[in-house]
Amino acid sequence: MRRLIKINCALLLGFILFSCKVEHATPPNEPVKNIAGTWGITDATRNGTDLTSGFDFSQFRIVFTDSTYTIDSLVPFIVTHNGKWAFNDPQYPFSLIFTPTDSPSVSTPFLFPVANGVRNIVLTFSPGCPSNTYQYTLQKVN
Amino acid sequence: MKKLRLPTGRKAWTWLWKVAVTVIIGVVIGCSLTINSVTQPASVSGGAILPITLNANITANATQSSALVIAVLVPTLWNASANTTMTFTSGVTTGPQPMTLIPVGTPSPNGGGLSWQTDLLNTIGHAGNLIPEYEWIAFQSNAQYTVNNGANIDVVVSIQIKVPTNNVYFNMAYVIAESTDGLHSGSSATSYYGTFFPGPVRVNGTGTLLDFVNPQLSVIIPGYSTDNDIITIPFNSTVAANGLSQSTQVYLCATGYTTTGDSIKVCEQTSKTQLQALGAGNWQLDMWPRGFFGLSPSQSLDSIEYFFTDVTGATKVGYGAGSSPFSFTFGCQ
Repeated sequence: MRRLIKINCALLLGFILFSCKVEHATPPNEPVKNIAGTWGITDATRNGTDLTSGFDFSQFRIVFTDSTYTIDSLVPFIVTHNGKWAFNDPQYPFSLIFTPTDSPSVSTPFLFPVANGVRNIVLTFSPGCPSNTYQYTLQKVN
Repeated sequence: MKKLRLPTGRKAWTWLWKVAVTVIIGVVIGCSLTINSVTQPASVSGGAILPITLNANITANATQSSALVIAVLVPTLWNASANTTMTFTSGVTTGPQPMTLIPVGTPSPNGGGLSWQTDLLNTIGHAGNLIPEYEWIAFQSNAQYTVNNGANIDVVVSIQIKVPTNNVYFNMAYVIAESTDGLHSGSSATSYYGTFFPGPVRVNGTGTLLDFVNPQLSVIIPGYSTDNDIITIPFNSTVAANGLSQSTQVYLCATGYTTTGDSIKVCEQTSKTQLQALGAGNWQLDMWPRGFFGLSPSQSLDSIEYFFTDVTGATKVGYGAGSSPFSFTFGCQ
């Protein structure tokens, strides 16, 4: 009887010891921001003042592929020629870098918020005087 | 004679509670701050220091420790955040006390999350300046000072603003406050800041006068722009009698002058040149000069001249409602 108890205790101890595993917790991966597609300007401000109601942005289009962009119907923008684009950090991007084919790279702060269920790109830049700051909100065009 | 009876039991607690709340409110209420006078020159040369002296008074009805806050309304083109120094002297301190700029975005006390700068604009306003290119800058003392209940302190604030060389006419405004209550007083309806509106200052500099004070037919916004900015060309037809006072449609007739001396004229009565009606005789057109004048990549604009016309183009209104064009020279600060 005593022997049986000893065996049971040994089995229970073994079960307890070997039932625990070291958990290797891995943080969830931040999804890569996919901006491929055709985008138009839905909102624009200059020094905080709305420009959307008084200036026609409706024809502007920028098309992002995996690494290139093309611009249609120019308005004051970060760049004036087509070229390549990249994030400063693909996983946690805070800047969008435009590299036109004929001029040096230009970096702009990049926001990628969702508003009313729609993904937006928000870009801030100064195409003219440095004291004049513009903020464009872009949405995908179907 | 009726005998005065003190309340007892639960009634006594009710009275005690009311008295305590009154005392607490009395303690929470800070101090009253007043600007008695402002010494400010009527004019200053472009590029010089604009010296300002504020004579203020602080009376306290409760002991409080706070920093002194002084705010000034200035044209944005002065970049006054980087070009202003401020100190103060008082009857309870020794020598000039240093003050430092409150960084943009710093929340104001009891301001509902608004920054000092935005709260000042929303609460105090813009002193009647007509061109929306102004800002409040706020400084606070580097140290906090304990002001005792019943104190009555005179304060002299010295402000030095190095103004740029541009011609400017601007309505100044000043605010004195303290860092505990700010522009609001929490639950109390009373506010304890003080304001002073001493009137305009004229900077005698160079270039087109940026007149914030007197209504004008047309002043391009932003005042500093290149041909690659989107500029707003307003037309206030009520400022002076002119041929377009009763017009139901107003158009722009403009000539752009390039840096190489060429001129490009756009004078047509189409949707491209039509100003938007804002009501009450106000009109405006937002335009991108590079696109409006169809510049090639190698061209740049130095300046533009413009008139306003009716739908036929026959009636033209220029500077001062006369026959000379309005003019604007492109450039940055």
